[in-house]
Amino acid sequence: MNVLEVRALSKRFGTEQAVDRVDFELTEGSATALIGPNGSGKTTTLSMLAGLLESTGGEIQRKKGLSVGFLPQYPRFFPWLTALEFTEMAAKLSGVDPRKARQQAQRTLEFVGLHQVAGKKVGGFSGGMKQRLGLAQAMVHQPSLLLLDEPISSLDPTGRREVMELLKSLLGQTTILYSTHILNDAEEMTDQLLFLRKGRLVEQGSLDQVRSRYADPQIQIRFENTDAAERFVRESPWPATAKGAAAVLPVKAEEPVMQDVFRYLAANGGRVLGVEQETASLEDIFLKVVAEK
Amino acid sequence: MIDEQALLLVLPILLLQLALMIFALVDLIKNPNPNGPKWMWAAIIVLLNIIGPILYFIIGRRNY
Amino acid sequence: MKQLSTLLLKEWRENVRNYKVFWIPVVFILLGVTEPLSNYYLPQILDAAGGLPDGAVIEFPEPEPEQLLVAVMGQFQTIGMLVLVLAYMGSIAGERRNGTATLLYARPLSFTSYFLSKWMMASLIAMISIWTGFLAGYYYTAVLFSAVPFGDFLLFAITYSLWILLVVTMILFASAAMPSAGLTAALALTVLIIAQLVDGLLGSRWIWSPLKLPNYAAAFLDIGPDGGAFVGAVLLAIICIFGLAAFGIWFSKRNRSKAKV
Repeated sequence: MNVLEVRALSKRFGTEQAVDRVDFELTEGSATALIGPNGSGKTTTLSMLAGLLESTGGEIQRKKGLSVGFLPQYPRFFPWLTALEFTEMAAKLSGVDPRKARQQAQRTLEFVGLHQVAGKKVGGFSGGMKQRLGLAQAMVHQPSLLLLDEPISSLDPTGRREVMELLKSLLGQTTILYSTHILNDAEEMTDQLLFLRKGRLVEQGSLDQVRSRYADPQIQIRFENTDAAERFVRESPWPATAKGAAAVLPVKAEEPVMQDVFRYLAANGGRVLGVEQETASLEDIFLKVVAEK
Repeated sequence: MIDEQALLLVLPILLLQLALMIFALVDLIKNPNPNGPKWMWAAIIVLLNIIGPILYFIIGRRNY
Repeated sequence: MKQLSTLLLKEWRENVRNYKVFWIPVVFILLGVTEPLSNYYLPQILDAAGGLPDGAVIEFPEPEPEQLLVAVMGQFQTIGMLVLVLAYMGSIAGERRNGTATLLYARPLSFTSYFLSKWMMASLIAMISIWTGFLAGYYYTAVLFSAVPFGDFLLFAITYSLWILLVVTMILFASAAMPSAGLTAALALTVLIIAQLVDGLLGSRWIWSPLKLPNYAAAFLDIGPDGGAFVGAVLLAIICIFGLAAFGIWFSKRNRSKAKV
């Protein structure tokens, strides 16, 4: 079930095409990471989905009655309101029953770890506290879709961890679309990856799909010692190269030739310690995707 | 020359002016990010009668 | 309209916490009492300044109390209006510019409630200001000189109130339409000043012009304005207020995409 479908979504500012015919879908309860270098159109895309910007082409289909929470990259608050007053107002404006809004706001502030400063004016908040308050205002009405623009990049490592865990605990009931440039985190919480480059969607799929598309065709077979590895390189019918106590084959793990390799290894004795494919990190993939095309 | 009636009439005005000045000064002290140096605004508020506090409220305190 | 009370509470907190609810009326009170006080003490002020040579006798004609109230209105028309423009120029444009509006606009916000909450709060404070200012001026004039008939004074103040409501609506319309607080002030002041100037110079026959409301207000302290002209100007002013508010709502919605994200 999709909560949101985006078809050929485009945004032009004057002569600049900020977002160019982007297509994707968000399945209910999933996490989607929007990845791309600065100026690739992440914020523009999120702003259009949040209803802040009018698109100049394409369409956004929302599930009926979809409620959305939005966290901008740099949330800015009225400094003269307290965290609780602001969150309560946000809840009411998003349609929460006014009688329940305060309680809902308190619970949300507790959830993001701000309950101790709920009565303090936001004017004195640090950047990290504002980011948490931003999250609180985005989720106080329990929206079914959360749009988060760089939700963790301005936090310190501890805060980042806490917020990631918090977001992960929402998955299932909440669909999350977030942009990030901290790729380790994207690796941790993602059912779908969207790579944007110059406003265009240049790669998309699950982490595994994207990985296998960009993984180097390289299988390492680790032997007991250098001799065994060199013998394999010499005698086996494949163009392997020796690398210490391992032989490196220029194939991918899922290629059918691997069946033959396993059979050969079983028949020709010698202990094999392991067969591994080096997994590409998102960072490597990111660099490739951005460099290509 | 300053008779009782004059005093009664002028006194509330002086009190209002004083209140305006005190409000502006208290706000300035609590303001973490005034639009310009604090000592400058303090001087403007105290020295420029009425106009000083108004200038501070309009220009000095950044209303956001 | 469900959002109106929520947004009104926000505006109220803002105006209390940035002291606008306090300092704007104080400015108007001070403007209101300065005129009668300085007129009353003018001889003594001159004397204290040692300005008069010995033997010189200057007769100060006792000012009419009506003239003093009209002079108070003159202060409101210059300094008072400037204060209102500067205090409320950022209402919408400033919120958009500093990015605080984003978290409101990203919600299913009713821009009618949004504009009206700001309009109502600014109007409330403007009304408190001119009424406390006028009443202070009325009282000081009555004590130091003589009392203006209170009925005349009420008609005078009510008529001027309608004019100030039009001014406040103009300011908020400009704030919704313009990209920044500075340009808001420029637009509002230019329109108000130029329109009044043109009306004063060329508009002697435009008897229904809302710009004549201050004149009609002053006339209530004298023989009263021409009935037909007055009613026409009042109706036209009300139409202008509704029109400007409608355009203000439209502009605040249209310009929501200009909010800093």
